Formats: sequence, structure tokens, C-alpha cells
Amino acid sequence: MSSIEEFYSLEKDKEYYRDLLEELGKVNEKLNAFNNINEGLSSGFPFSAKDNLCVKGVESTASSKMLSGYVPPYNATVVERMLRNKFGFIGKTNMDEFGFGSFGLNSQKIAKNPFDEHYVAGGSSSGAAIATAILKYHVAIAESTGGSIATPAAFCGVVGFTPTYGTISRHGLIDYSNSLDKIGIMARSAKDIRPVFDAVKGPDGYDSTAVNAKLNSNNTKHIFVVDQLIELVDKRIRAYFEALLDKLSSMGYSIEHAKIESTEAAVASYYIIAMAEASTNLARYTGFKYGLKNDNFGESYNEFFTEARKYFGDEAKRRIILGTFVRSASVKEKYYYKALKVREVLSHSMHEILEKGFILLPVMPVLTPKIEDAKKLSPLETYKMDALTIPPNLCGLPHISFPYAYDNGMPLGAQLITSKFNDYALIDFVEEWEEEFKYVFKYNIGAVQ
Amino acid sequence: MEYIDFDRLLKICRLELEPDEKEKMQKGIVEVIAYFDTLNSFNAEVEGRARKEEKPGVLREDVVKEFDDVDGLLKNTKTYRFYVVGPKI
Amino acid sequence: MIIGLEVHVSLPTKTKLFCSCSTAASEPNSSVCPVCMGFPGAKPMLNSEALRIAVSIAEALRCKISERVSFVRKVYFYPDLPKSFQITQLYEPVGKDGLVECYDGSVVRIRRIQLEEDPARIIKAEDYSLLDFNRSGMPLVEIVTEPDIKSEESLRAFITELMSILYYLGVDIEGEIKTDLNISMAGERVEVKNITGIKNMIDAARYEVRRQSKIIEGGGSVISETRSYVEAKKETVSTREKETDEEYGFIAEPDLTWYDTKGITRIEPVYADKIAEGYAKEYGIDKKVVLDLIMYDRDALRLIERTKGAFGMKTIINGIEIVKKYGDIGSEQAFKRLLDFLQNGGYVDAAAFEKIKKGEKVEGNVIDMKKIIDEARLLLNDKVKEDYKKNPKAINFVIGKIAAKYKMNPRDVAEIVKRIIDG
Repeated sequence: MSSIEEFYSLEKDKEYYRDLLEELGKVNEKLNAFNNINEGLSSGFPFSAKDNLCVKGVESTASSKMLSGYVPPYNATVVERMLRNKFGFIGKTNMDEFGFGSFGLNSQKIAKNPFDEHYVAGGSSSGAAIATAILKYHVAIAESTGGSIATPAAFCGVVGFTPTYGTISRHGLIDYSNSLDKIGIMARSAKDIRPVFDAVKGPDGYDSTAVNAKLNSNNTKHIFVVDQLIELVDKRIRAYFEALLDKLSSMGYSIEHAKIESTEAAVASYYIIAMAEASTNLARYTGFKYGLKNDNFGESYNEFFTEARKYFGDEAKRRIILGTFVRSASVKEKYYYKALKVREVLSHSMHEILEKGFILLPVMPVLTPKIEDAKKLSPLETYKMDALTIPPNLCGLPHISFPYAYDNGMPLGAQLITSKFNDYALIDFVEEWEEEFKYVFKYNIGAVQ
Repeated sequence: MEYIDFDRLLKICRLELEPDEKEKMQKGIVEVIAYFDTLNSFNAEVEGRARKEEKPGVLREDVVKEFDDVDGLLKNTKTYRFYVVGPKI
Repeated sequence: MIIGLEVHVSLPTKTKLFCSCSTAASEPNSSVCPVCMGFPGAKPMLNSEALRIAVSIAEALRCKISERVSFVRKVYFYPDLPKSFQITQLYEPVGKDGLVECYDGSVVRIRRIQLEEDPARIIKAEDYSLLDFNRSGMPLVEIVTEPDIKSEESLRAFITELMSILYYLGVDIEGEIKTDLNISMAGERVEVKNITGIKNMIDAARYEVRRQSKIIEGGGSVISETRSYVEAKKETVSTREKETDEEYGFIAEPDLTWYDTKGITRIEPVYADKIAEGYAKEYGIDKKVVLDLIMYDRDALRLIERTKGAFGMKTIINGIEIVKKYGDIGSEQAFKRLLDFLQNGGYVDAAAFEKIKKGEKVEGNVIDMKKIIDEARLLLNDKVKEDYKKNPKAINFVIGKIAAKYKMNPRDVAEIVKRIIDG
């Protein structure tokens, strides 16, 4: 039974939602899962929306100061579909500004790991993962560009599903990198992901990349491990991962090894494309149509814009500068166009393997870092942490992250990747896994006694 | 590695940085670009300058459907007699 | 002198290029939505009709049509550009490598035809600007020519020809045509931007040619730059270029991927110039006379085509000229009654026109040829005949007088008058 069915079958007293919100508010003070909580929630199975999703009448900032005060006059399609299916909107979740980050540090309020507040929650959908880990009955609508669902899901010990690019409409998603952005779902079980995915997927008259595709569930019982990527992983993680492979082998999966040469170029290619697109998306924030306002209209427009744009965070500024550079006419050939080509070559190599079976990888090459340690990383060191999540994201491939071990009480996540439009095979797989493995949660806000 | 005229780049981005902020930013950026340069050794024999999606984009019928909350849009802006106020040109 | 043009035309769609907002709003900011105001989260959806018209234009201008059409983002900062980038085309435009054959025999090659969005309307005020986003996202087609135009006459011929082709595709651009001119006389290219209307375009070209000639004659050299046309002063002034190609930083528009043009039904082109030429050859009439009638008039063309077997071409042309003078004839049947009336030696005034239109009988209004010839003979005294030998225009007053008095077509009167002079 999914927890959604369970929730509706439970007897709840009148004060249920009030008590739930009160407790959530307290825990949120500590962990910074939500940018705002819907105090009016009074019905439905709770769902949260990442703060880069527009919710009509609710401030939506993508955790950016530039967008403070922005109240969208419309709902993102995914939000609209959740509401239509009687889910109850519980609030907007914290994230790295505009999705720029892997650890949840690039926000005005640093997201904290629910297993230990000294550790990062992962990013950029940090709040979505924390909310899922602390609320007993809840699903999160999150978003991934280069690993922003898998990473926080792994660090917070929840299931994070990133479907094929284009299966869920991006209408109303505040853009980071349009050719890479994918809306996805986090939950405490694959059983909860299935009905939510059913409710929100499908074409939309407001997003021309939202495709009408038949989604499959093909499982060949073959799992491939990509050697070059495993080599990047911390030894301690490798030991846990080997144990996972043994376990899957005992469940009837054949484990095979594969090589993909272009993975080395994937990280650079990903960041070039993502930043090039991001720098154009962020050009619109000029301080007079929405969000933060510059009232000094008498300044000439260039000074006016420059004045307004100083409110971007450091990482946003860095990506605007880098993205603008790589698409400048004189160097575009060697950066931007080259990156597009790498993406194509990598897509082709991945496809060849995925035709035969799944690809399985750890999500992160390192154990959950402490907040203070993650802060010390240089931008480049941080980017390189995405080496394992970038390949499926760069190629628009569906993948799912699930907890498979606990190291000193902190969860570890693995990600299963499949070919485009075989999304349901991932949900089936994790449901099968959940029969063998019990997830651990430290909080159960909203549990009914 | 490419020569980067950092001040010009900032101007194109319409960004201004404090001197100490600028130095730190530039250092990080130079490091990242040097890393991007590793792509040069990658030999990708692929044609084209656009994304190779299998499926074409979806077209829209030419039928008027007015947005239902124009006031909500304009509430985010400063207006003067129906016009949106912008900076001086 | 060598001129190349970039012509921007608005497309006659009901909705904007990337959103369903109406293109026919009046009160400022009444036809706006998150897409055309560049709000966070909104995505463009391409208007199928705009694509169809753009492909039809490209085909009518004999371009190669890209099978795959895609878009790019052109980034620059200006208050009228809501996303701070314009969605336009670069690598896979709607059409490439076409040509226009003009009525004066010149050929202008078309480099590319692209579909793009219009920015908002911006009004300059002392300490701020005012924006109307109704215009933001209106569909535009940009037609870029090669530098093939070598004289003011060719410029006029090209633009007239182009407008006629567009007119017959349903793209009526009278008055609203926006042009950028590239003029180079000695190698250096000068771009004159933001010219509205045909008269201004020709005036700007004339001014710029004179300006550059003077510099060259004076031994100076023209600098390559961007200028803009100041209508009030009828001159061009140097402007600081807003952005360069380096700064536009074009990237593929990721929200629109690509579009297939193979299955699109095109609007059939009509080349009025070619049709007039055909009539001129077939019926031995002046091509220019026919062309003037049909260049921007699909009703006239239809009436000619429907009646050309049954009536003489001269009568038909007369009939069309009368219709243009007195207004709509109503039906094809009424037009045929008009031609019958003319063929039987009638002349048409406003009252007769109304009667013919309604199908009533016209009494009188018959041209008395003998009376006309007598009167013409009287006016054509020896002095006039003598003057005529030196200056053929000397008989114009005779033609004018008779044409006015008997409500006749001056061309027909001219024929009679010339016959008298020739004996």
C-alpha cells in the first residue's frame, strides 16, 4: 500500500493539519527545509513544491534575493495538476539559488541534514529532500538540472525520481538551464512516486518540449557498472556499493562492467551548457518588472540594471560570468559548441549500454560532507562532485536515487539509470528493492498515533 | 587558455563587483575555464550547432486565449496610466 | 553605390509569435501574459500560422526552405526587451538564398528570411521610460538581401516588388514597413537603422549616398559605423552601437528545439509583375498600365482574370480604372454589365456607375464620337500642332479638357487626338 492510500484510510482528528504545521514549523527553524509554509493547509495528502516552481499568489523566489517579493499570477503546470488531483499544498522548499549548487549552501538559509545538522542536506533540491525525510505523509515536487534530485535524496535518505527530459511539463519552472531542467519527485517510497508521476506527466500546451510519449517498464535483469566513474568514488563507498551489487546479484540481476570514454568530458560539457543557458535566463532580472525593485528610474538603463543585479548571490554571479564567456562569439566554437557535441557523443554511448540493461552508480563520490568542510571547497572542486550525476542528467535520461546503506547512521544513495521513456522500470525496481531493504527516518512529523 | 578581459566581461553581464570580491571571483573563474579547456583534447566528430532532439517541438494553434490575471502580472510592476514604468533611455 | 536591406514585416496572425495573446489590442498592456512580459517560468510556444506565413514568404521569394527550423537567443539589455534576449533565428532560418526579380529587370538576391519576436513599445520620458508590452512578442519576419541594389530606382523597384508579393500572401505592410539599410560606396559599410516607411527609406538612402559621395570626393574616407535616420531633419546621424556580435552570445533556444517544415501547406504566391507582363505580350497593351492596377489589388486581378476571354483587354482595363475611381462594384455580374456598357460606347459618371451596379438601365451617357472629334479638331489649331513637334506634351491640355468634359479615359482621348494630328 502506498502511504497516500494509507493516509486517506486513517482516522485523523480535526486538529490534524494544525498540529502537523505547528510541529513542522519548529523543525523547520532548525533544518531550513521550507522557504515558506502554507499555514492554510487543511485537506489532502501534503505535497511541497521546490521554490523555483511558480505557485499562484505565493511568493516564489528560487531562493534568490533578486526574486524577493515575486508573486506569480499563475501556477506551474505540475502544481496545477497536483492541486487538481486533490493533493494539499504544504509549502515552498528551500534550494540553492536558482538551482546553482550541490550542497544546499547557496541559499540565504543553509539547508541542514535531518540525520545530523552539522552535515549538508545536498542540493539543489535540498528542502525537498529534508521535507521528505521529516514528514511522514508527504511527496515533494523537486527539480534536477545536473543532479539536484539524486544528490539531496541520497544525503537525506529518501527516494528521488528524475524522469526522462520532457515527460513532465516545465511550464512555471523558473529556468536554470532549459535543455537540462527536469521536474521530478521525491518520496519515502517508490510506491508514492508512481501515482504522483501518473498525475503530473504528459504534454502541456505551455511547454513545447513536453512530449506525448508512451512510457515503458522494461527490465532485462542486467545491470552495468561504469568503471571510469567507479574509480572516482571514495574507497569506503566502494565497499558499500560492492555489497549492494552482491545483494542485487542474489536478487537475480546479472552485474556487468562497461566503459564509456566520454564521461571525462561530461562535467565540463555539462557546466558549459548549463552556465551558457543560465546566463541568458538570468539576463531578465533587471530590477523593474518583478522581484526586487530598483526605484531609481532616473538612472540610465545600464546603470539601473547593474545596480539591481548586484543582489545575485556569488554563485549566480559566477555562473552568469562564465556562461556569458563561453558563448561569446570569439570562443563559442571551442566551448559552447564543443560541449553540445560532447553531449551528443555521450548520449550515444550511454544509449548503447542502456539498450542492454540498467546502469547503476553511487550518487556521490564522497560521504556526506560536514557543512563547514563543504564551504571550504573551491567552485571547481564542488563542480567535480557532480561527476556521477551529470551523465544521466546531461543526456536527459531517467534515473532514480534510493537509499541502500547507512554509514555511521548517515544514509548512502545509489542511482539506477535507464533509457529514455523506460521510466516505470525504475519505479518497479525500487519497489522491488524496498521489499529487501528498510529505510530509516529520524523524524515522522504528521504520523497518526 | 583564452585571454579574458574580465572588466569587459563584467560590463556585458551588467555586473559590478567590489575590488576584493572581484579578485576572488576572477581566481575561481580562471580555474574553471582552465578546466573547460580540457574539452579541447576531446575529439567529437559531430556536425551541427543545435540540440539533436529526436522529436520536433510542439506547435500552437493561432487561437486567441487571453491571460486570465493581467492585473496579477502588473501588480508585480510599477505602472503609470496603464504603462509599465522602466528606467530612463 | 551598393545597398543591402534588412526589411522587417509584421505578420497578420491573430495571436503573438510565442503566446496566445491577441495581436489586436489597443489599451496599453491589456494583451499581455507571463510569456510576452518575460516572467520567470513562462515558456514560448511557436504559433503555427506565423511559421506557415514565414515559410510561404520564403518560398515566394524563391528561397531554399530549411527542413528543420530552429531558433536562437540573442542577448542584449534594453528596457523594451522583457527577457533581455530576443528569440530569433541564425543557423536554421526559415529560408536562405532566394531572389526577387523586379519590374525594371534587376534581380536582388535574398540572403535569409527569419522569424523573430518584436520587443515592447517604449516611450522616452525625462526621468524614466514607459512600456507597452502589447507589442512585445508580435511576430516579425526579417528579410535580408544581398548588397545587390545599385540605384535609387532599383531600391524603389525592389521594395515595390517585394510589397506586392507580400500583399498577395496576405501580408499587407503599407506604412508599417521597418528597414535597416547597408550602404557602401567605397568598401566601408555603413548601416542605417530603424527607418519606418518607404518614403523615409528612400530619403535616407539618398541622404546617405550624398553624404558618402561628398566625403569620397573631398578625399576623405567613409568610416564603417551604425547610423540612424532622423525623420524630422531628413538626415542620418552616427549612433553608438548597442551590442556587437561578440556580446550577443547567440545560443540555441532550448525551449523550442526544432520544427519540421515539410508538411506545412504554403500560401500560393502571386507575381503581379509576371502577370502584367503576360497580358502586355498577349494583348499588346502597356505593361505598366496593367501593373499599376493589379500590384496591390487582388480584386482587380480577379475581375481581369474572370472577364478576359469575353471582353477586350482595353475595355477591361477601362472598367477596372472606373471601379477604382468610383469604389466597389459589388459583384462580378455588375462588373460585366459595366464592361457591356463601355463596349457599347457608353461613358460612366458617378450616377451611371451606381445604376450599373444596381442593375438599372442607364439612359443617355453615350459617347458621341463625331462631336468629340469635331471639338478636338477645333482645339488642335496650327500653333498646338507646331508645338507638338517640339514637345509631345503640348497636346496634353487638349486631352485633359476633352476627357474631363466627356468623362472619358484620358488614354482613349489621347489615341483619338493623335490620330487627328497624324491625319
